[in-house]
Amino acid sequence: MRKVGIVGIGHTVFGNLSEFDLVDIMSFASADALDDAGIRKERKIVDQVFVANVGAGMLNHQTAIASSLVSRIDLEPAMAETVENGPASGASALKCGYTAIAAGLADVVMVTGGEVMRAVTGWKATDFVATLLHPEAEYNYGLTLPAFAAMFTRLYMERYGLTEEELAMVAVKDHDNGIKNPYAHVPYTCTLEGIYGSSDAQVVNNLIADPLRLYNMCPVSDGAASLILCALDSAKMKHFKKKPPVVIRGIGAATDTHCIHHREDPLELKAVRLSAERAYKMAGLGPKDISFAELHDAFVILELAISEEVGFFKKGKSRDAVVQGLTRIGGKLPINTSGGLKAKGHPLGATGVSQVFELVKQLRGEAEEGRQVGNPIHGMAVNFGGFGNNVVTTICSKE
Amino acid sequence: MIVDELEKKLRPPEMDLAPYPAKVITLASGEKMVCREVRREETGVLLETVFPLIGVPDDFYDIVAVRMYSEILGWYRYRVANEFVIVGAINGEIAGIVTSRCVDERVGMSLHTLTIKRGLRVGAQLFAAKMEHHLEYLNQEEVWIVAESPIGFRRWMIEYGLENAYDRYPATHHELGGVPTYILTKEIYNRVRDEKVTGVRPVPPELLATAESLRVPEEYPQLQRYRRGGQKRGRS
Amino acid sequence: MIDTNVVDFEKYRPARLEVYAYKCPECGTLHYPAPMICKDCSARRDPSGVLFSSWEKVPLGGKCTLLSWTRVYALPEGFDARYLLFGIVEFENGLRASGRLLVEEPKIGMKLVSKVGVVREKIGEDVYGFMFDRS
Repeated sequence: MRKVGIVGIGHTVFGNLSEFDLVDIMSFASADALDDAGIRKERKIVDQVFVANVGAGMLNHQTAIASSLVSRIDLEPAMAETVENGPASGASALKCGYTAIAAGLADVVMVTGGEVMRAVTGWKATDFVATLLHPEAEYNYGLTLPAFAAMFTRLYMERYGLTEEELAMVAVKDHDNGIKNPYAHVPYTCTLEGIYGSSDAQVVNNLIADPLRLYNMCPVSDGAASLILCALDSAKMKHFKKKPPVVIRGIGAATDTHCIHHREDPLELKAVRLSAERAYKMAGLGPKDISFAELHDAFVILELAISEEVGFFKKGKSRDAVVQGLTRIGGKLPINTSGGLKAKGHPLGATGVSQVFELVKQLRGEAEEGRQVGNPIHGMAVNFGGFGNNVVTTICSKE
Repeated sequence: MIVDELEKKLRPPEMDLAPYPAKVITLASGEKMVCREVRREETGVLLETVFPLIGVPDDFYDIVAVRMYSEILGWYRYRVANEFVIVGAINGEIAGIVTSRCVDERVGMSLHTLTIKRGLRVGAQLFAAKMEHHLEYLNQEEVWIVAESPIGFRRWMIEYGLENAYDRYPATHHELGGVPTYILTKEIYNRVRDEKVTGVRPVPPELLATAESLRVPEEYPQLQRYRRGGQKRGRS
Repeated sequence: MIDTNVVDFEKYRPARLEVYAYKCPECGTLHYPAPMICKDCSARRDPSGVLFSSWEKVPLGGKCTLLSWTRVYALPEGFDARYLLFGIVEFENGLRASGRLLVEEPKIGMKLVSKVGVVREKIGEDVYGFMFDRS
């Protein structure tokens, strides 16, 4: 199979960008990626564009946005499609891009993910995200993603004795990383005292879905991120002399049951484990080889649960790693050096692409001061779709 | 101060309002926000804080800011009956302001809530402080509330479960624009109090001292690239 | 005289309030909600009953055990309550379901019974679903 490298990256700031048009935001990130790759004038060498987006139709009243993006950045006649896979759209679009190159259908592919969720109120956004649930058995009740994450957290706390304080520590770490990330949505850090210890914490860090609190979950964000891929054996690689490519070594994906109540063991995230196994197999690596990871922490509990399913820690033990500081920048296995979805933000379609953007930045040694992982070789990103029923894992390495 | 006869006629009769005991809240960022009632001599700082937001059309900031500006001025000039103003300050820098007034011993009329510091639920804490004052320290029985913004509506009307007095409209109407009213009764307040109201009293002296001299905010997230033009005013 | 055979009055009577599980006609496995292909014997379902049988609807409900629960304050658009409780239960026949929880102090493992009630109001129609309460 052809080897694929990432040769250009782009990112907008995540936050409230609702005054801007969705395709403008995605074009901005795409143009950034073209500039980073050094091919703004030679942009027509891009053969294929994959767009990752979930809400264009429901929230922004636009469809067929891949075609719209192509014209906005003058990339005709490139092939272009939109990939929708819930919150895992970004990594799925990357997987499609990889597949197109591996099959020989394209040499240079642009993958752009973007979302403008703040065009509607928070309650409409909650409803929009809830539409990924089963319409009759789950959505109709008013169940939301936070509700299922809360039920998962409750079971996890019962089985492994995880405490609220330990959950809060993960959030504090994520914000410590996010504050150094110029693209992050949340511009402040939170302290353990502020969200857990003080007498005001119960009210200031209020319950959203018992036992999950406001600071256990990501904000609603707008934003876009973009990557440019190229086949390493292609003649077009001559255009990409500016920076060394980062190699996509492994991609894996898997699905699990749609209805949460169909999971045999509700605490088992089979799709995470399978997708990681497939990615490891393709890469010829194991959990011990991974230097750092971006794990989909839309809810802080998921950073813990996913790190266990992919084999970094034993079941129930990930929180010990957090308490010991192993997952901080500078620790043995930094997790969510970008701030994670918690501090960086979570525009659904952009997240998967943004996670790989971070992998590339770290592997290139370009991360901002205080955020750079020391000498990383392999990075892993896990993009979690639905509530664990569609997961895509990507492993990237230095060339 | 000697109040002349005409001025006496123009001023509303005053109730003797108990003072609001200051409290301090630890925000999620670890910053400590002191909530206290303002003094007359601080009017200038308050008006200067509110003024720039009159030009911000997003999120209803313009109408809330201009109405609050007039309320603060009205309180200062003795042209609004029985009003109080509470400010939230972090290291003396104003994070948010709330205004409200008493109609009589029983009924309070909530006026406005304006937040400059965003992302830390400052507005929610100050609104709760306002209700705390009406129902616990001023010993009133109910507070009438309306919202200009849909966000305000959800945050207060639904999260508190306020009583909807729409069916008693127009006889029962809020004085802000004469619009249909929602009511926070003592009973509803007691039900949600522990979830909504927090803070430590008394404020430790060194923290209270930081809030002694109020300052206008250095930055307004609502105003892109806004900085107070070179002024060092208020900086200690 | 009006011909009373012309109007179908059944349409105006409220439907029996049930939530249904679906029984595979080949192997008898119960499913909730209805899939298109039986995971045990691979039989196909056809809601129109033309090419294959539309599986038998079996009322689902009765005694159940609470597997997990939550109290949700941030509800989606269309819900005006201060909070709502939800839970996932397992029925005696092994089927599981999500639904509204009417118990204020839930505990994992507690024994409940299911009822059917209005869980969401959509324009023009009410949506019925599970509500779990103390037995």
